[in-house]
Amino acid sequence: MSKKDLAQLRGQKRVITTCTVKKGIVEDFSNISLSGVSARVFVDGKSWGFSSTSKFDFKSVKQTLENAVKLGKTSAKFKEQKIMLEPVKAVTADVSALAKKPLHNFSAEDIIQIPLEASKGARETGSQVVDAKATYISIEDDKYFLSSEGTRIHQNITRVLLLVDAIAKGDSLICPASENLGHAGGLEIFDKTSPYSFGKKIAEKAIRLLNAKAPPSGKFRVVIHPTLCATLLHEAIGHPLEADLAMSGGGFGNHIGETVSSKLVTIYDDGNVRGGLGYFPYDDEGVKCKHTVLIENGVLKSFMHDRTSAALANVQPTGNAHAWDYGVEPLIRQTNIGIEAGEFSLEEMIEDVKEGLFLEGTFGGQADTNADFTFGFQNAKWIRHGKLTEELRGANVAGNAIEVFKTIDAVGKEVILRPGACGKYQWAIQGRMVPAIRCEIMVGGTGG
Amino acid sequence: MDIDKDWASLNSLVHKAIKTLERKNVTHAEAFFTNTRTTEVTIRNSEILTQNKIDESGVGFRVIVAKNKVGFACTNTLSEKAILDAGEKALAIAKVSSESPNFALPEASKTPKVNGLFDSRIAEITVEKAIDIAKRAIDSAENFDKRVIAKDGRVLFNSGYRGIINTLGVDFEEPETKATIYLGGIGEQNGEVTCSCYDFKFSRIEDLEPENIGENVGKMVIEMFKPQTLKTFQGTVIFGSEAVSYQLTDVLVDGLNGESAFSGRSAWARKLGQTVVSENLTITDNATLEKGFASRSFDDEGCSSQHTTLIRKGKLESFLHNATSANALKTKNTANASRFPGGLDTAHMIVGNGYRAKPEIYPSNLVIHHGDKMKEELVSEITKGVLIESMAGFAQKGSGIISAQLSRAFYIQNGEIRYPIKGGMVSGVGFDWFKQVSEVGKDVKQFPNAIVPSLLVNEVKVVGA
Repeated sequence: MSKKDLAQLRGQKRVITTCTVKKGIVEDFSNISLSGVSARVFVDGKSWGFSSTSKFDFKSVKQTLENAVKLGKTSAKFKEQKIMLEPVKAVTADVSALAKKPLHNFSAEDIIQIPLEASKGARETGSQVVDAKATYISIEDDKYFLSSEGTRIHQNITRVLLLVDAIAKGDSLICPASENLGHAGGLEIFDKTSPYSFGKKIAEKAIRLLNAKAPPSGKFRVVIHPTLCATLLHEAIGHPLEADLAMSGGGFGNHIGETVSSKLVTIYDDGNVRGGLGYFPYDDEGVKCKHTVLIENGVLKSFMHDRTSAALANVQPTGNAHAWDYGVEPLIRQTNIGIEAGEFSLEEMIEDVKEGLFLEGTFGGQADTNADFTFGFQNAKWIRHGKLTEELRGANVAGNAIEVFKTIDAVGKEVILRPGACGKYQWAIQGRMVPAIRCEIMVGGTGG
Repeated sequence: MDIDKDWASLNSLVHKAIKTLERKNVTHAEAFFTNTRTTEVTIRNSEILTQNKIDESGVGFRVIVAKNKVGFACTNTLSEKAILDAGEKALAIAKVSSESPNFALPEASKTPKVNGLFDSRIAEITVEKAIDIAKRAIDSAENFDKRVIAKDGRVLFNSGYRGIINTLGVDFEEPETKATIYLGGIGEQNGEVTCSCYDFKFSRIEDLEPENIGENVGKMVIEMFKPQTLKTFQGTVIFGSEAVSYQLTDVLVDGLNGESAFSGRSAWARKLGQTVVSENLTITDNATLEKGFASRSFDDEGCSSQHTTLIRKGKLESFLHNATSANALKTKNTANASRFPGGLDTAHMIVGNGYRAKPEIYPSNLVIHHGDKMKEELVSEITKGVLIESMAGFAQKGSGIISAQLSRAFYIQNGEIRYPIKGGMVSGVGFDWFKQVSEVGKDVKQFPNAIVPSLLVNEVKVVGA
């Protein structure tokens, strides 16, 4: 390597504990201990090489670094474009997420109680609940970042999640419902929402849906609850705002400064949201995470960047380079993406709709880089003459997010923090700060 | 080679850990361990984006104590202490876990000889070679037509070992290699941008044919210009093999899961012997297929591989089982324990695959037996219909409801493809669609866990944009 080259080393210890309870039986209780080192180097002003190993000894780490240099050099031969990475000031930092109830104060028996209670809450809701699954997950990360620019960062962050699925069965119908809880922090997350009541709430929904009709199909004026808005925001607007996808012909192209959305919409990404699953003081290139305004009052302001895309776009990196773990390279990822609160209460948003749908809950989704998206909602209600009427089961909605976001004519004033996950080339868990929105969308229901 | 030396050392430490556990009053113990070397090149915007080399090894222990209480722990630190500790942790967890009445592990049995699982050319692949393959795919796509942009893609080579030991005498290991390429392209012309079109190949040998992949992507992209919207339509739909391999196969995997059959969650629970899908369909699970991408001589808990008929001419003959679900339903284990299942289950994605995970029930190569007519012939017989090559969306677990956005789809009139369809969704119940299959195509393609043809399905609803 020459002096102009850049080397980054990431070391990580990760302990994952999972405990799954199905029908009141602990079906899985696991302890996953992982550790390893990755080396990423930028050589010849053109090319990155990446290599990782699960071996922690000096010889293996040195070999991994040499592999990365060789990979970078091999590929540099084929590249014409020089990338002028903005130099980064050396940072020394030691940060950790505060946990009021840290995991080490709890025994394995205490942990088991969490999914057991959630599963009990679901099963005790009614005999129609044929299956209830509750999964507790904790992820304890101890991460080190070192670079040849002199940066030394240690981050220690714990995340806790509870995932509950309930399935209700009627005479001929099977209705699933699910919901997730999650934050960066300790077990204090269950002080506000008890696992029992959380499980019960989900099972109640599954049972209720047994008597609901299938939703209709076609284009509708809809009020989208924050639970579903989170998926829409992440999948359909968030991804096209990631610079790597935007640069590969994404839906927002390079329309910085242009109006791309309804004027009521301001969208940001913020790694500093305390408690958000996407809480990261620094990213995996050692860049401090920021509050980045992406769309302001409908005008495209910025994309989410890593150092490479920032250099190509001639802007500052935004702290969005994140790797799922030591084993894989950092990619441009959302941290906690959000929509700024608007002025409407949920009632006010529904009041103005003559005929439409209220969509709630999410079954996840996917989006193409041109902002075409599909994702599922869990349940819906007809809105008729400004009032919520009969309940409907779930289906998918689809469309082009940029087109859909132009139709937003109301944004809710209450913003909630949601847990989220993403599978762009590698896994990630993230936060979402979302209000309800009102817009037009295509619904693919099987009913009339 | 390093990888062989590392494997020998891991293997001996794992045997030692199992012996240590045997002395500790456990009912049973099991270790699943892998050693994988990955060489990967990613493509973005007509260029090589990154090239990675990733080595990973690890071992996961399942320990069972009195009353069938099970604990799991794993580590990727390969010191003697870390491996013995992981075994101890699994034991400690088992003690506080609850009873799993039907839990079972497979006993030792003779494994079949499955050919074509290892290619030394993949084990010795260089990054230069991987980059060359990626570049050939990009060039072939973009030289096909100047409007084509190779947007993203990946060339991936894996080689390594998979091993399993348990206290019932199972002690197997197998070297394996895998090669994967995918390429996604879009087309641009006068400001119009097409949807992304993908082609891929999943292979056990070094035969990725990047020129073919690139050319196919080029062809697909060019077909997508000037799409037109469609009015809502109910009628004949041909699902191409790609669409069949994702959303439709997910419905089959869900219905055929032995554990779901036992718990009553499967739509086909208690329907063995009954006709559950069209009589045109015969579906098997074949882990012994030569060069099959998901072939193996033993499953991920050490049961010998087999070829199982699941559905014969529409009639349900068997579910997919691991040792536990087979024990619960008092039936034969079909060797479908998998530590590399597909799907997007959050808990599973967080934990990861292989040694990090306990086995789940998943097909090896799920084969939908092909029919006599090529896809083009099926198209030529349709007066009015839709061809869906790919769609975005999921099948809902349990209910089998699919509502997906059309991505690469075409309107068919008088036996000919008329135009690509813009927007639109397809929605219905996957279990019903399988009852409505009136023709099965001859064109079959290998996907990670499925080998499937096109399917012609009657009375499907396509929602216009």
